[in-house]
Amino acid sequence: APPTLLTLGPPPMEEEQAYLELYLDQCAAQDDLAPPRSLLLSPVVPDDGYIPNTSNSETVFNSHLEEVKASGHFSSVDLSFLPDELTQENKDQSVIRSKQDIEENCETPGQQSRMLLPREQDVGLGLISGSTLLNSHSQVYPGDADPVQPSPEKPNCTPLMSITPMTPVTPVSECSGIVPQLQNIVSTVNLACKLDLKKIALHAKNAEYNPKRFAAVIMRIREPRTTALIFSSGKMVCTGAKSEEQSRLAARKYARVVQKLGFPARFLDFKIQNMVGSCDVRFPIRLEGLVLTHQQFSSYEPELFPGLIYRMVKPRIVLLIFVSGKVVLTGAKERSEIYEAFENIYPILKGFKKA
Amino acid sequence: MPGGGQCPDCGSTELVEDSHYSQSQLVCSDCGCVVTEGVLTTTFSDEGNLREVTYSRSTGENDGVSRSQQRGLRRVRDLCRVLQLPSTFEDTAVAYYQQAYRHSGIRAARLQKKEVLVGCCVLITCRQHNWPLTMGTICTLLYADLDVFSGTYMQIVKLLGLDVPSLCLADLVKTYCSSFKLFQASPSVPATYVEDKEKMMSRTLQLVELADETWLVTGRHPLPVITAAAFLAWQSLQPSHRLACSLARFCKVANVELPCPAPSRLQELVAVLLRMAEQLAWLRVLQLDKRSVVKHIGDLLQHRHTLVRKAFRDGPEGLEAGEEEEPREQCQGPGQGKEVARSPFGLPAGKRLAGPALLLPPCMLKPPKRVCPPPPVSTVTGDENISDSEIEQYLRTPQEVKDFEKAQAAREAAKSVSNPDVQAGQG
Repeated sequence: APPTLLTLGPPPMEEEQAYLELYLDQCAAQDDLAPPRSLLLSPVVPDDGYIPNTSNSETVFNSHLEEVKASGHFSSVDLSFLPDELTQENKDQSVIRSKQDIEENCETPGQQSRMLLPREQDVGLGLISGSTLLNSHSQVYPGDADPVQPSPEKPNCTPLMSITPMTPVTPVSECSGIVPQLQNIVSTVNLACKLDLKKIALHAKNAEYNPKRFAAVIMRIREPRTTALIFSSGKMVCTGAKSEEQSRLAARKYARVVQKLGFPARFLDFKIQNMVGSCDVRFPIRLEGLVLTHQQFSSYEPELFPGLIYRMVKPRIVLLIFVSGKVVLTGAKERSEIYEAFENIYPILKGFKKA
Repeated sequence: MPGGGQCPDCGSTELVEDSHYSQSQLVCSDCGCVVTEGVLTTTFSDEGNLREVTYSRSTGENDGVSRSQQRGLRRVRDLCRVLQLPSTFEDTAVAYYQQAYRHSGIRAARLQKKEVLVGCCVLITCRQHNWPLTMGTICTLLYADLDVFSGTYMQIVKLLGLDVPSLCLADLVKTYCSSFKLFQASPSVPATYVEDKEKMMSRTLQLVELADETWLVTGRHPLPVITAAAFLAWQSLQPSHRLACSLARFCKVANVELPCPAPSRLQELVAVLLRMAEQLAWLRVLQLDKRSVVKHIGDLLQHRHTLVRKAFRDGPEGLEAGEEEEPREQCQGPGQGKEVARSPFGLPAGKRLAGPALLLPPCMLKPPKRVCPPPPVSTVTGDENISDSEIEQYLRTPQEVKDFEKAQAAREAAKSVSNPDVQAGQG
């Protein structure tokens, strides 16, 4: 019988010490990591039979893996101690290791947005499954001399080392591989001076002012393509930008226009008020089933609106879910909330993939 | 009040009208002697002139309730009676209305909203008891706009924190079908159009279930699907006489309003039936079209589960499953030999269509109207320098300002000539 991949029961003391030291050495190099807490010191219970990757353990681990792989598939290995979700055969065992690995293993949406600025991707990764340990893993692996690579035959069949013991209840956070795209940002800023709206509408080409309809000037600029509502109190709302930076730049341009018209406009308290994102999971969703199982969060009234309105509590985001698999996320003050909300809803939606 | 009477006992004139329970008496205030007594009981002729006091006026239940709320509660009861709902529904709906009225936002709302709130409370009650009442029906009864209704409905559900179950489709089919005037001959209903209620209802139900399974119901208003299904069911029960009848005419004869999306739902349902018919050998040779397939709806419904499984696939996995499945159903005709000879990819030799269709909602099968190009990666930091020229492009030159003002003045002059009201145009 092939040896069980992960032993039950605590490892021998010396080995454990060695692992601990090696792990802590690597962690010490990173400033923003929390100490591994009970990761290694707790007895190896079924859920955390995994010991984090270190150069010593790798060889041991690899040899185990090779033996298992030689047997053909994982079913001969006793995996009964793992939580149910992890024993499915065609479960995507994606590895939250490094940014490069993510791009290899996960389905690339084929959009430019995948080539994210490093900052954005960090934020996205850091919040998947809410575990800080994942973040630490993603930092640890690039530093490894010899990270365990996924087996060449089955690119999706990655070793079980991606299990994080700190999140026993939620399944291995499979990176959905889909990144919601930001569609609209609404921000406000205070120009801190009283404005004469009639004068603004007279001297600016791109302004609209209909006091009987609405008590503000509607101004538009071409780059970034946005619209602003400018009130006589000096407050301004800027909408239509596709990113936070663009929204800020646009708001500054509007403030400059107002300045050039002779008002002592300043730029105070710029704040992003709302962010809207959208994406496509690419499979149809049984909305009637979703409203039954998640009744306390969902509202589905086909007589009124074709989509299901899902009010997520953490983060506080409202999602519009449609039968075609398109999802709209709104109500965020920060980009990370949108990503987190989508990563939370994706496994729920996958549960409704088939009729 | 002392009216000139004298007490027979002590002779005082201080007589007071007082009532002992419901009996009026004239009593001397000095000695307490009862001078005259009113009548405790009424005679039959007297009672004829009296009116009964309603329960709600004799009890104190309306004492603390504002008149506006009382009116609303009356409307709730009236609506329940018009809809012929069981009496328990009335109490629940009234309770919801009272609960809603405790919130200041509702108390201060406009009358239109309060009227619509009546409908919302009744609707929520019906939904919770699985009574199939549509929002359209309520809006028609209240002469309300669906937009106003939807806003108030969503608000009140959130405000009261209620769990409102979804509309029960099967019950709605039964109720809606019963409202069709096709079950008895009449001057407007020709004899060939009359149909048996049970047969039509059961077949409509099966068609609606089929539509639900093939993604035609999710995300759509439920009623047009049922209209289309009822039409097909009715046609298929006597196709020879009814194939010539159109959906619009059917609704007119049945005295039912034709919902706008119903023709589109009908097309989609017929397309599903045609795909299913392709799986039956003896129907495939007939080369059915959207009219002739109606004749075979009975057969198709009888084997619908197997046919849907064979006719559609969910994706590459579904395709493989379809291949592995043995052709074991009883409807194998003489074309069996031809059917089994399939290429590795599931395309039977000589089949017209390119294999099983994808089982997807229609919105996913249509090509996208316009493909949005992915936006270019933005490297904006928000702190860039803003050039003067860029800002100046948005400002009018002094000459332009003068011209604009002249044009504005001319426009306003023209307006005030034609219309005495002065309008404030663009600043």
